[in-house]
Amino acid sequence: MSAGKSRRNIRLVLGAAGVAVLGYGLVGLPTQLGPAQLLGLLTWMAVAVLLHDGVLVPLSTAAGFGLTRAGSKLQPASAAVLRGALLTGSLVTLLTALLLKAQSVARKSTVLEADYAVNLACLWAVLAVVSAVAILLLERRGRRAGSRRR
Amino acid sequence: MHRLDGRRVTDFLAAKFASPTRSTRLTVVLGRWLGIAFTVCFLTGLFSHGLQNPPAWMIFPTRPVWIYQLSQGIHVTAGIASIPLLLAKLWSVYPELLSWPPVRSVVHGLERASIALFVAASLLQVTTGLINTYKWYPWPFPFRETHYWLAWVIWGSLLLHIAVKLPAISAHWRRRQAAAAASNSPVSGASDAAVGESGAGVPAPGRWSRRAMLTAVTAATGAVVVTTAGQSFAWLAPLNLFAPRKMGTGPQGVPVNRTAADAKVADAAMSPAWALLVRSGPVTRSFTLEQLRAMPQHSHELPIACVEGWSQLASWRGVRVRDLLAAVDAPPESDLHVTSLEPEGAYRTMSMPAAYARDEQTLVALELNGAALDLDHGYPARIIAPGRPGVLQTKWLQSVEVL
Repeated sequence: MSAGKSRRNIRLVLGAAGVAVLGYGLVGLPTQLGPAQLLGLLTWMAVAVLLHDGVLVPLSTAAGFGLTRAGSKLQPASAAVLRGALLTGSLVTLLTALLLKAQSVARKSTVLEADYAVNLACLWAVLAVVSAVAILLLERRGRRAGSRRR
Repeated sequence: MHRLDGRRVTDFLAAKFASPTRSTRLTVVLGRWLGIAFTVCFLTGLFSHGLQNPPAWMIFPTRPVWIYQLSQGIHVTAGIASIPLLLAKLWSVYPELLSWPPVRSVVHGLERASIALFVAASLLQVTTGLINTYKWYPWPFPFRETHYWLAWVIWGSLLLHIAVKLPAISAHWRRRQAAAAASNSPVSGASDAAVGESGAGVPAPGRWSRRAMLTAVTAATGAVVVTTAGQSFAWLAPLNLFAPRKMGTGPQGVPVNRTAADAKVADAAMSPAWALLVRSGPVTRSFTLEQLRAMPQHSHELPIACVEGWSQLASWRGVRVRDLLAAVDAPPESDLHVTSLEPEGAYRTMSMPAAYARDEQTLVALELNGAALDLDHGYPARIIAPGRPGVLQTKWLQSVEVL
């Protein structure tokens, strides 16, 4: 009972602190941003949520369907390696897309000097080789273990 | 009737998006990492903000000399790491978005509104934070002010979110507890039971286990960290594939943020009539470049560390600021007002607290890496002080005034 009560107190204190800190930010924001800037900010936030929930997650879910089908023919471990490699590659591709876009519009001296497209291709090549070797080894080991069990 | 349709639509969608990999335990593990990353960003961000807009009680540490290089490198790197963590965390609770009815009560409505704000602000913070380091900022709201105030909103939302979810968090804090909680509770948006009692154990055919997904998220986070942190940490520089900055580039092997052309100072800086004015009350002295070179010269290895996370250790040589203060009979414990030749710009003038002015490593630098300063690095003279953000290392000096 007292443990339950003390947890409730912890939640109340945490929650109140959270509301205070959050409120400080919300009150401070309009002291430095004008109405047009606040409107731009709110629009950006709404569009970000729509893009994330309406495009990014459905796309990754669709990719997941395909991977589930492909992965059901593989050992669980090698299916996981495949998913992990694609997850890593997609994430870095997303970052590189932003870098390339920035490079095309905002190039200045000593910033954004690398050839990011080449670097991305290298990263995908490394991912492909490493995951292919891992999958081959895992599949061979899995099949050998499977035949022993039989 | 309408209500029923809404539920049918969301149930249908929820079934389409269902994945046995999702579980409260997965969300708790990801939330823990993300909470740590956000807190690190918040604290290092406040430190950086305090150095640039100091409150009266601000402490200005000058040792170790790489303190700002470290804190801001960690800030930007933790921000980059939080991108995959945030995406994974949001994926793990996606079915919650489709719960019906959308608002069950006032409290439930407030909770959902607070989460919408938390999610939207977090997405904005990490995206604009990253893109700002690319020196590309195409939005109508200012970066620094928005980033600062949203940091409070996000960290407050984090505390509130922990308070609201504390029962679920503590029930799934440890793996064994989580397995017991999952088998006891049949109702859950994220099908806990489908993963099996062991949770991390055998996945459904073609799926992956929780542990495999967490490993992959760790690997993806590690990949973006290792391929970008080389802009802040020299030992990772060889793996720097996707950071906007590279160590060792630029004139004299040091990157440049604002060139002399950007600042429109070339003529004033190259003028043979240039002299540095040092003023303390009624005493004003002017030092030509020759006179500065004739004073005792000091060399120090100091990093230049930018708010955007990149940094570069370099060898600086020049006159100690405290020696210049002594030349106008000012005590070394003086707050200074430093002005650049730049005709305009947010960093044309800079305030230097006494903590830096008295420091024996704070220089009016005339040389960088063994040669006279390049024009883009602030020729004829610039400030370099230990532990300060790069924007406060004023270039193309015009005057130093004692306050």
